[in-house]
Amino acid sequence: MGKGQRAIQNYKSTEFIEQVRDADGLVVGAAFKAPATSASLLQTEPTSPPERTVALPQDKPREGELDSVPSFILVTTYLSYLMLIVFAHLRDFFGKLFHPEQYVQLREQNGYAPMVSDFESLWTRRLYGRIRDCFNRPITGVAGGHVHLLDRVSADFNRTFEFTGRVRKVLNLASYNYLGFAQSEGPCADKVEQAIRECGLVQGSSRAEAGRSRLLADTEEMVARFVGSEAALVVSMGYATNALNIPALVGRGCLILSDELNHSSLVSGARLSGATIRVFRHNQAASLEAELRRSISQGQPRTHRPWKKILVVVEGLYSMEGETCCLPELLELRRRYGFYLFVDEAHSIGALGKRGRGVCDHFNVDPREVDVLMGTFTKSFGAAGGYIAGSRRLVDYLRLHSHSAVYAETMSVPVLAQVSSSMRMILGEDREHALEGQQRLDQLAINSRYFAQRLVEMGFMTMGDPGSPVIPLLLFSPAKIPAFSRECLRRNIAVVVVSYPATPIITGRVRFCISASHTREDLDYALEQVSEIGDLLMLKFHKKTAAANKKHD
Amino acid sequence: MVSVAFVAAAASVATGTQQSTMLPPAAPDDGSKHGILRTVWDFTFRMGLRYIKNSYKDDPFRTFLEVCLIAFIIWYITKQKYNIGTNEIVLSEKEIDELVEEWAPEPLVPELTEFEREALDKAIMIDGPNGTKVRLASGSTSKPVLNFASYNFLGFIDNPDIEKRAIETLRKYGVGSCGPPGFYGTLDVHMELEKQLAAFIGHSAAILYSQAFTTTLSVIPCFSKRGDIIVADEGVCFAVQQAILLSRSKVYWYKHNDMSDLERVLKDVNKQLVGRRGKNALPRKFIVTEGLFQNTGDITPLDVLVDLKRRYKFRIILDESYSFGVLGKRGAGATDHFNIDPHEVDLLIGALSLALGASGGFCCADKDLVEHQRLSGLGYCFSASMPGILTVAASDAIHALEAHPEGYLNNLRENTALMRNSLKRIPGLQVDGALESPLIHVRLSPEALVRMKRSGGAWTKTDIDRVLTELTDEAQKDGVLLTRAMYVDEHERLLPNSSIRICVSSAHTRKEIEKCAHAVKSAVSRITSKKR
Repeated sequence: MGKGQRAIQNYKSTEFIEQVRDADGLVVGAAFKAPATSASLLQTEPTSPPERTVALPQDKPREGELDSVPSFILVTTYLSYLMLIVFAHLRDFFGKLFHPEQYVQLREQNGYAPMVSDFESLWTRRLYGRIRDCFNRPITGVAGGHVHLLDRVSADFNRTFEFTGRVRKVLNLASYNYLGFAQSEGPCADKVEQAIRECGLVQGSSRAEAGRSRLLADTEEMVARFVGSEAALVVSMGYATNALNIPALVGRGCLILSDELNHSSLVSGARLSGATIRVFRHNQAASLEAELRRSISQGQPRTHRPWKKILVVVEGLYSMEGETCCLPELLELRRRYGFYLFVDEAHSIGALGKRGRGVCDHFNVDPREVDVLMGTFTKSFGAAGGYIAGSRRLVDYLRLHSHSAVYAETMSVPVLAQVSSSMRMILGEDREHALEGQQRLDQLAINSRYFAQRLVEMGFMTMGDPGSPVIPLLLFSPAKIPAFSRECLRRNIAVVVVSYPATPIITGRVRFCISASHTREDLDYALEQVSEIGDLLMLKFHKKTAAANKKHD
Repeated sequence: MVSVAFVAAAASVATGTQQSTMLPPAAPDDGSKHGILRTVWDFTFRMGLRYIKNSYKDDPFRTFLEVCLIAFIIWYITKQKYNIGTNEIVLSEKEIDELVEEWAPEPLVPELTEFEREALDKAIMIDGPNGTKVRLASGSTSKPVLNFASYNFLGFIDNPDIEKRAIETLRKYGVGSCGPPGFYGTLDVHMELEKQLAAFIGHSAAILYSQAFTTTLSVIPCFSKRGDIIVADEGVCFAVQQAILLSRSKVYWYKHNDMSDLERVLKDVNKQLVGRRGKNALPRKFIVTEGLFQNTGDITPLDVLVDLKRRYKFRIILDESYSFGVLGKRGAGATDHFNIDPHEVDLLIGALSLALGASGGFCCADKDLVEHQRLSGLGYCFSASMPGILTVAASDAIHALEAHPEGYLNNLRENTALMRNSLKRIPGLQVDGALESPLIHVRLSPEALVRMKRSGGAWTKTDIDRVLTELTDEAQKDGVLLTRAMYVDEHERLLPNSSIRICVSSAHTRKEIEKCAHAVKSAVSRITSKKR
């Protein structure tokens, strides 16, 4: 029942918003004074005044205000999965009986073990296979506020797809295009074109050998300035930024304390490092502290020697949950216990905080207090790759000792140009477009809050902290997951649905990624459609509460 | 034992009390609905109680035993759990506080050594476009230097046509794809390149990854899991070493490129598996090696390898990162070079960042295996897809190579042969690798090193690295950009000997090759004449 428990936990962390409407028709939190315009919504960010550095953001879960997930939903969800699995096994059983030739690759043949074992692939073949059409949907063009999907059909229950040749334009609530920099036109694209003309495409070597270019060095400097640390190292791929750099930081005799919901790349990096890995409860400083006290006092397993270093690895914004990490508490613990803190800002950099500087900005914390700041350019900057920022000593060491810097290709010229031009815009250093960066940040903040609040208002169960551009909406039942995705597509909206194994089994969800390039009309259209789908699929678990609140108003 | 259940029901409430108190309380108002239920429950309870009473009357000792058993079960379930195998010490809070206070962690990263600091300060910085000639921002000269340091085997890096197309692509696809392939990150150009790659190599299907290193790192652990067996070459590059580490499979190493040693290991492995029973009786078995070795420039005898694979029933994972685009008549890699059906290689890994002048990597395999990677290949599933610009650049490069394979490859081979021959004639230099390899590692020969050392002192790795760095500096003064092959020394399984890696390109002219060889020659003679 561990996962069910966690689902309830997750659900409880949903913020409940009382409704007050401003002149704009936007709903704002009642905790704040009535704002005059929609722009003043920004002031209601939990980024808050500087004196609140250590205190928790006040919009943490308020226990008791919410009832738990109805047990009816819990039971039916588990039952549905049970059904699916029973049917999967039945279909496999009869399939093997009547069509053994289709199952050849799952059996030992000619002295070779099967490449993919029968049991491992059951989920993929029988459960994922049913809803394959909801994933890997190919697109063409830019994944901006709207995206062009290549229409495809399947005649054999999603085993293969055929393209109809049609292209449909849909509203994009799926891509991580938070600040709307995924563009093929505009000042950034012009800068990229200029860079390609001047510097070609790639460097054809690793950074430590001959891959360092002036453009790379300049970009690294700018990233450091943006993040607010002494220096930064740029890596050509996001996953690799974690997987290939953590091994340079810790090794045998070291301990990694990792949040249980950390991204796969962090897990890979931790495994490659050879350090001991322990996991603490998601976003719970108390659990981390207990683990720290136990680990430090007991030392290494068996030998009881003290640990060489302890690295606590967390994410700034959890992409499947939309929750920010409890950074102030972590820093407090860091001061007390002397561990090193690694924050993965893959989703938060550029998207959180008043100035878009990520989770440190969000909590008003000095970024230099975090030992290692990692982030990616895929999301807010419309580019690719990632960075590691920190003290000069750290970055200098990584430039010669991290696997990515020594062995992997350097970031390509267009990507570097995109990163530097979009970053310059957010920094306000681009004179011609000095205000545009801040406008995009404001727009994103308004859009995210608006969308999340309206969803709650409609009675949906959402997750995540306010202000997060990632808004998960709980679907629970496995049948509703593809249904939601297909319904949305029918209404020309692209969304991402996720379920086990990316989330706990019970809390299948749809994830909306809000972008600064969405207009109010886009969002209203989406909300209207989502509301209809919600009625259709009976997703408004909170309808009564929402209605009651409305009456109360 | 049937009665145990009844006893449990009864014992939990304590026997002997009034019957009515044991009955579940029922609300009086909904009698009609719950009436039947209540009667049934009442009846069962009475029956149970009577059964217990009877059994107690008939055999009191048995009832006693059963009660004891239940008591034991309750005690067992509720008692404190203990872990077997940990040797944790029980400490008081105060002691823990003291230990926390005392604990002094090492610094996050060690201080750089003096040599490393120098290397970092003097690191090459290229200003402007890359290509066979580059302008440096780091060195002493402002004149362009000849580039023999970057991987640009086919000269695609500064191809103007590709650049033009890149700009067109930018205007259609932007830069980033803003999502992993699973979540609207799959572009039509990705799918086209995948098809093109599969067709070019002659395999069934292909999958794109957005970084070459991560391709290897994802593909191997995707199929080889804990309990599986990997037989790997000792000389494989770092990406393969890390991938093996990540897969957590059982690994056996064979001597670098030694097929008889490989056969010995394969035999050994199979012998160990004889008589194994149970679930893991037949693990997946892989031979993992590189087509063209990054660290030596050697070529794997793939024909022998395929023969061994068939005989001992292993599968081959071949890292063709460096051989793709370089070896073979069409430039399709090691399978092309040895004229082997690519399907014999079960998982073929290649790079787009080396010969093709783009970025990223790919894996060719059977259709099912490629589809499996779309969910289980970590680098594919959990990272953003490759930017459209680079995808199209790779695609254009393959088109160009397909259109004129001789043009590119003959040039490359002639240049390679010329370079190798010229380098071999330089005294005090040891040239590694196969004749066809445009990736040339040159090392100072042991004799030269002995001659250079005053009073026969031993050479440390740093000393040799320092000498090689001087050598590259000297060459740079003569207008030739070279680089020392860099490694993360502390993480390499077997650290290769220090070397300078020279990368020949088909775009180099004969004159440029000669100039490079000459620069190396004079640099070597200047360096080796100095005693240290």
